[in-house]
Amino acid sequence: MTRGAINRDPVLGTMGLEDSEPSRPDFPRLRNDRRRRLFDALAAEAMDALVLGRPANVRYATGARQLWRAGCAPFGPACVVVRETQRVHLLSVWDEGVPPEIDHEDLYPLTWNPANLMAALKAIPGVAGARSVGTDGLTPMFAHSLRDLAPSAELVDGAPALWRARRTKTTDELACLRTAAALAEAALQGMRQRVEPGVSERQLVAAYYECIGSLGVPAPPSESVAFATPTRGTVSFRFVPGDRRARDGALVVLCPGAIYAGYEADVGTTVLAGASAPQGAGALADRCRRGLDGLLEACHPGATGADLSRVWQQTGERLPPVVLAHGLGLGVEPPVVGLGRGMSDVLVEGSVLCVQSWVGEEGTGGCLERATVLITADGAELLTRRVPWAF
Amino acid sequence: MDQPAMGATVNGRSIPDRPDLGRMRAERFARLQEILTSQELDGLVLLGSSAVTYAAGLAAPGEDSGRAGLFRPVVVVAKGEPAPHVYTAARDGVPPDLPYEHVHGPLFPDLDESGEDLMEALSAHFTAGSRLAVDDQTHPMLRHLGAYAWQDGRAALAPAKLCKTPDELACIREAQRISELAMVDALKALRPGVRQTDLSAAFLRRAFELGASAGSIDPIWQVMPPWKNQGPWTSHGDLAYPTATTDRFLREDDVIWVDAGILWEGYVSDYGRTWITGARPDPTPRQRAQFQRWRYVVDAALEVLKPGVSAGALCRAATEANDGVRPWMQHFYLAHGVGTDSAEMPLVGTDLGPDFDEAQKMEPGMVVVLEPVIWDDGASGYRAEDIVAVTDFGWAPLSGPTYEPFMVER
Repeated sequence: MTRGAINRDPVLGTMGLEDSEPSRPDFPRLRNDRRRRLFDALAAEAMDALVLGRPANVRYATGARQLWRAGCAPFGPACVVVRETQRVHLLSVWDEGVPPEIDHEDLYPLTWNPANLMAALKAIPGVAGARSVGTDGLTPMFAHSLRDLAPSAELVDGAPALWRARRTKTTDELACLRTAAALAEAALQGMRQRVEPGVSERQLVAAYYECIGSLGVPAPPSESVAFATPTRGTVSFRFVPGDRRARDGALVVLCPGAIYAGYEADVGTTVLAGASAPQGAGALADRCRRGLDGLLEACHPGATGADLSRVWQQTGERLPPVVLAHGLGLGVEPPVVGLGRGMSDVLVEGSVLCVQSWVGEEGTGGCLERATVLITADGAELLTRRVPWAF
Repeated sequence: MDQPAMGATVNGRSIPDRPDLGRMRAERFARLQEILTSQELDGLVLLGSSAVTYAAGLAAPGEDSGRAGLFRPVVVVAKGEPAPHVYTAARDGVPPDLPYEHVHGPLFPDLDESGEDLMEALSAHFTAGSRLAVDDQTHPMLRHLGAYAWQDGRAALAPAKLCKTPDELACIREAQRISELAMVDALKALRPGVRQTDLSAAFLRRAFELGASAGSIDPIWQVMPPWKNQGPWTSHGDLAYPTATTDRFLREDDVIWVDAGILWEGYVSDYGRTWITGARPDPTPRQRAQFQRWRYVVDAALEVLKPGVSAGALCRAATEANDGVRPWMQHFYLAHGVGTDSAEMPLVGTDLGPDFDEAQKMEPGMVVVLEPVIWDDGASGYRAEDIVAVTDFGWAPLSGPTYEPFMVER
């Protein structure tokens, strides 16, 4: 089963108290399902061991709640999955945040000394004799170490198996994603209250953080959540929030995400700073909305990235400098559709996508609308609600 | 002890009030070019967030690792060229001094369909067989870029990053100043019944209002129990720290070990203090003694800190001041550096071992974050972080002098 059979409005919350409430995730079952998919993937790929370094993959394999650091760090062996023993080993000195199915003896400690790390990895049963070891990344140094660690092993790409396992969501993963969607919507409204002429992008990020923390959830997926678009001159999509202030009458993009139990949902809309919209704002908003309408219409199982791209171009808009869609789950996942990528990727029932429409017009500004959707047999089901445009 | 002289210098230059960012980027790039020459490399290919920040001065929002990975910018440094090449969709993060022709579209090195683009991009800079250092590799890179001789990027980056320029030190000091000011709001919010995430809300809101460029870590507000064995199980029997923030409620008299950092112009701050939960927190005499001991240990290390002194000498001074008991956690260190990474060289007192510490000499421009831990079983403990820069004749503080609710005149 890959879809939550939820016909009524889901009752979302973070307390996890209501065992009978089907819209709340069952975390032991969620981890158990992920683990089964993980070992199925190892068997299907004939991988004896899998060494993971990307935090989302480590989360998928272990369920451990670990320290969140911004950005991507070079590959390091943070988790080892062994097919023969069916065990998952985690780099952690302590057991706080580590689920009970991972025993104390399955933990290997943090170390600054590569020799100590190698000794700990060598001691993991089933690694030394592995014939095929997958990794989700590498460094020249670890490639060298691997020859010592598993001398007869062939190094293989472990990332695709993880992407496949992560692609279609279980009922419990969907429950997390729906909760994240509600949190993202709350953050958007929290930021919206702060939008007025003169507000800076950084002040909106400040409001975003205040809102996310007040909701009782830890670090959000991205600070790229707000930018004021110019009413004069070239309009470009902005990724890095700064001290730019919204002019009176500026269109301000708000596009926050939120994470619940590791799962990310994103939402976005465009609002007006001040009372009077710039000339052409209504028409621009219509174009933006139609762009998203088209993309959502095209999101059904079997559709390709090329289909989404074609639908977008049929609206008469140029391809934007941002992706049209990307996968979501434990953060951003493939497919990445847009910027010349993902044209042959096929949308799969039970997967979740972030879909977005960005249009800009010199003299008016820019409009973004972004939504998180579940791909069902009937098409795209919105997990985030679309916000009515106010201009 | 003597305060370091005003106008302390690093290689004869004083730390400016405000950094010259253009000069900073140029000096960093020059260092990378020197390393390419000294290590006989033809170039660098960089994918990690802190490395691309260092090499090209890219600004980026704080992002989850998955997003930061899939949409990652790639930086190429070719030997002899005047500037790095940047491959990114986020053009607004590119510094203004980078020549237009050095800015290219994104490469998506995690996607296999990017193979041809990766080959084309690198062949524009390097011939087959070139010796290239890389900090992180994806399997598509391994499959498609086999024509090059790959070396480990850490060995190339670490020597460049080890000693900071005066502008880099000014960035760290500013990041630290923002963090310390923002913590005033978080400390004010600390009451019985607030959750750890509420403190994150107060701190991060204020940090961005004050000009933070990006977040760097989910802030840590760990409750330390009175007894070590009341804390989480650990494999080494020492303390579990730092553990991740949750919606845990904080209770009257809870001892909180705070650890947080933000980025300013690519540089990390590192705020560490011990707080006590309560409307009017008043440390007990035993807690005040813990703080005094922490101060004494840090001062003992600072007393000996100057260029030429080994990391081992710092460890010995700190341990001696703590009556022979090692005043740091087994899985960590007495001190570490910060820069574009939150923990980088020098590492002082790690399991790299005593020989490593003896061989590691302090040099002007190094950043030393002293974070000893005073554990007092039965009454929890005290931990804070003092950040200093090694200067030509001693050190200069980069962090502030207040330790509420433990206030002492120094």
